[in-house]
Amino acid sequence: MKLTLDHAALLKALAHVQSVVERRNTIPILSNVKVEADSEALRLTATDMDLDVSEATGADVAKTGATTVPAHTLYEIVRKLPDGAQIEIETASGGQQMVLRCGRSRFTLASLPVEDFPVMTAGELPHAFRLSARDLCGLIDRTRFAISTEETRYYLNGIYLHEIKHGGADVLRAVATDGHRLASVEVPLPEGANGMPGVIVPRKTIAELRKLIDESDDQIEVGLSTTKIRFAAEKAVLTSKLIDGTFPDYERVIPTGNDKTLDVACKAFSAAVDRVSAISNDRSRAVKLAMTNGTLVLSATSPDSGSATEELEVNYRGEALEIGFNSRYLLDITQQIGGEEARFSIADAASPTILQERGDSGAIYVLMPMRV
Amino acid sequence: MIVRKLPDSVVNRIAAGEVVERPASVVKELVENSIDAGASAIQVVIRDGGRALISVADDGCGMARDDLCLAVERHATSKLADETLSRIGTFGFRGEALPSIAAVSRLSIATRQRDQDSGWALDVDGGHKGEAKPSGQADGTRVEARDLFFATPARLKFLKAAATETRHAVEAVQRLAMAHPEVGFFVGDGDRPLLNLPALRGDAEDARLRRLSKILGPDFARSAVAVAGERDGVRLGGFAGLPTLNRRVATMQFLFVNGRPVRDRLLYGAIRGAYQGLLPSDRHPMAVLFVDAAPEDVDVNVHPTKAEVRFRDAALVRGLIVSTLRHALAGTAQRTAVPVSMPAAAAVTARPPADWRAPLAPRARDRVATPSFPGLREPLAPYDLAPSAPTADWPVPPPGEEAADPEQPVLPLGLARAQLHSTYIIAETADGIVLVDQHAAHERLTQERLKRELAAGVPARQGLLIPEVIELDEGRIAALEARAAEFEAIGMVIERFGAGAVIVREVPALLGTVEVSALIRDLADELVDDDAHLSLNERLEKVIATMACHHSVRAGRTLSVSEMNALLREMEATPFSGQCSHGRPTYVELSLAEIEKLFGRR
Repeated sequence: MKLTLDHAALLKALAHVQSVVERRNTIPILSNVKVEADSEALRLTATDMDLDVSEATGADVAKTGATTVPAHTLYEIVRKLPDGAQIEIETASGGQQMVLRCGRSRFTLASLPVEDFPVMTAGELPHAFRLSARDLCGLIDRTRFAISTEETRYYLNGIYLHEIKHGGADVLRAVATDGHRLASVEVPLPEGANGMPGVIVPRKTIAELRKLIDESDDQIEVGLSTTKIRFAAEKAVLTSKLIDGTFPDYERVIPTGNDKTLDVACKAFSAAVDRVSAISNDRSRAVKLAMTNGTLVLSATSPDSGSATEELEVNYRGEALEIGFNSRYLLDITQQIGGEEARFSIADAASPTILQERGDSGAIYVLMPMRV
Repeated sequence: MIVRKLPDSVVNRIAAGEVVERPASVVKELVENSIDAGASAIQVVIRDGGRALISVADDGCGMARDDLCLAVERHATSKLADETLSRIGTFGFRGEALPSIAAVSRLSIATRQRDQDSGWALDVDGGHKGEAKPSGQADGTRVEARDLFFATPARLKFLKAAATETRHAVEAVQRLAMAHPEVGFFVGDGDRPLLNLPALRGDAEDARLRRLSKILGPDFARSAVAVAGERDGVRLGGFAGLPTLNRRVATMQFLFVNGRPVRDRLLYGAIRGAYQGLLPSDRHPMAVLFVDAAPEDVDVNVHPTKAEVRFRDAALVRGLIVSTLRHALAGTAQRTAVPVSMPAAAAVTARPPADWRAPLAPRARDRVATPSFPGLREPLAPYDLAPSAPTADWPVPPPGEEAADPEQPVLPLGLARAQLHSTYIIAETADGIVLVDQHAAHERLTQERLKRELAAGVPARQGLLIPEVIELDEGRIAALEARAAEFEAIGMVIERFGAGAVIVREVPALLGTVEVSALIRDLADELVDDDAHLSLNERLEKVIATMACHHSVRAGRTLSVSEMNALLREMEATPFSGQCSHGRPTYVELSLAEIEKLFGRR
């Protein structure tokens, strides 16, 4: 193998794949990235056996071939090479080494045989559809904060992606919850997604996928079976195993009869919560929302450092009500609400509360109150 | 198949299996008999780990001829005067020990009552009783068991090495001796003495402490606090080691109920609860506790060797132990275990005199690694000498004036004189110096403050959007349900969820996102095991400890004299300030006497 390419192109592709590689591995080859040259492109592939990311980048290939070298070392080297440089890559010593040259720098990396590199077989992916990168980013960004990290309930460690009927239309919905709060975001069901199984996409896959795509109109091809999912963008392909579990019947915890509504200006509310919560230095970070006609008083107390209150003008009609929340959870959600106004639908101080962007029924957040 | 009644010899051997587990059990049973007989001196001889010979001789009340012959019969005892089992004031009552021992060994008993002219001797060989013969025995009784387990070869095979069995036997005597300082104990292996505890007269508490110091070592006596409490007729006495005196295993906890050594999970759990937050979970305190209750409130007839007991009101006993220990330990804020300062002092004295020539000058060989640039070096100023920086808050009078001023409040931790290495505070007290680890001390103060705040407020509870259902067995569910109100008070809401499961609806907000099912399982196990629920508190304390650590003055921060004094005064006012949350001391004390010893003035 012998090829030449731009520093920027190599760095970008490498940055996308290297984070899949775990820092510590018991199987040496899993620390490596597969470097593969066909007639016009260089393809880099990394895997942790559950997740496999591969990205191609244009290169001037003199001789095709493939090898594997330590991913993090290669990334460190390329990161430190000067911008705009040309990089030359060549296998040496009968494939036992890979030599990288750039200007007057020369690096020799030990290789492992490419035949030993684990190949993830996606198997047959019977369901396939196309989704714009913008929609996919929206599904991910607005739900991933609620993914659980608790390992005993492993089936909550990802985003539940499934087809469902909502308001008479078919939608593709993403749901994540950690047992304290829940986020549910949907987009119109893409063509071809009818009949797809509900799947739980693991947290790490979500994180890696998000690095590969940006909010553009590019179309992402999604293919899935009950055990695997594949996302293919223009140059990059990500294949991942799915979490083998049953996502809880989340619709049961989304209340439907919450009769009290509170509309707040989202930015002002979020800033006020942030200020008031500065007083509570313990981990519970509780803030109290006391609402009367037209006014909302946010308050927090800490036996240690004192208390804080802030008054906001809001749109609220109904009996006076007090309810407590974890301020961090409130902030997490208000950050996801892009619009001007957020709407709370509340039943009482002990039942789940719904938060939504006003006028946007495509995303709803459910939050369990805190009793203070 | 034919059902037949087992012959007596077999019945006795089966009973022996329960009572006589190993030579130490024989020693225990016989020494208990001697104590029940009112002996004031007991001599034990153990040869070849008890296999060859176990002999116990006492100067107790002895037995008459007829009693002697009856004593080796099963269920014959002098210790139950009537037929009630509810008032047991003696060690024995089952009437099983002697026949059981007799069934598995060659037993000979010689005895003489105090007012009788002659004594009697009796041999029992593997359960076959001989004739009582006159004997020249002195006052009291001597029981000798030879060739133990010769009749039950299976048991013989399971014995450990002679040294191990001897050690177990000595430990059995030690346990009994702790509860009976008024009795002298001697244990030998026929050649040399293994244990020699002379009888101690005088004040009971003092005698007890001296006996304990003889058995557990002088460290224990120096680092133990007397414990005394009473509730509804149940009394608790004994000594508890300071948290800084801790061990890796819990074998140094000795529990006595009405003078009887027991290994009872309820009581061990109570000790663990009392020391919670003072020790890391893998370290165990030392303690010797005596619970005295009216005989009818304790059921000792639970276990063949009486190692376990049952209390009529277990919660009362548990509460008594926890609160009494806590109270006793809280009074020791100004004490750390003495041994801490001793090795330090020893290290100083052990230094060869040659090193003392210039103790303050940096020695060349300590500094090899550091290239030195004398020209750039700042003048060495390691001591923030207090007298040079008196402040309005804490005027520091020149030494000598303190004693003269009768108005001067007593300051157990003294006045701060200097800070060393920006880490340790040196304070001068009336009779010595105190060296404080500023981080450890402040961490403990912060932790106690956070705990007080938490206790004062109502804990915030985070509701669970998806309540967690945990499958458990009925025993564990019942145990959790019984304490549900207690859990709710700390923010955990648990309810029964049909058969075989509980549902958790709310968790303490302080814990953040916890693995609820693991926590509940731990709690349930603890409730079932020793009726304690430490996990939840432990988790909360861990959060508090982490917060305390982050909010405390670190080592390496320079403190002014007034800051140092403020820290010392707060330590004096805070319970448990003598050790940090990991059980390490926050300060050590070096008395003038110890300093004088270092310089050979004494």
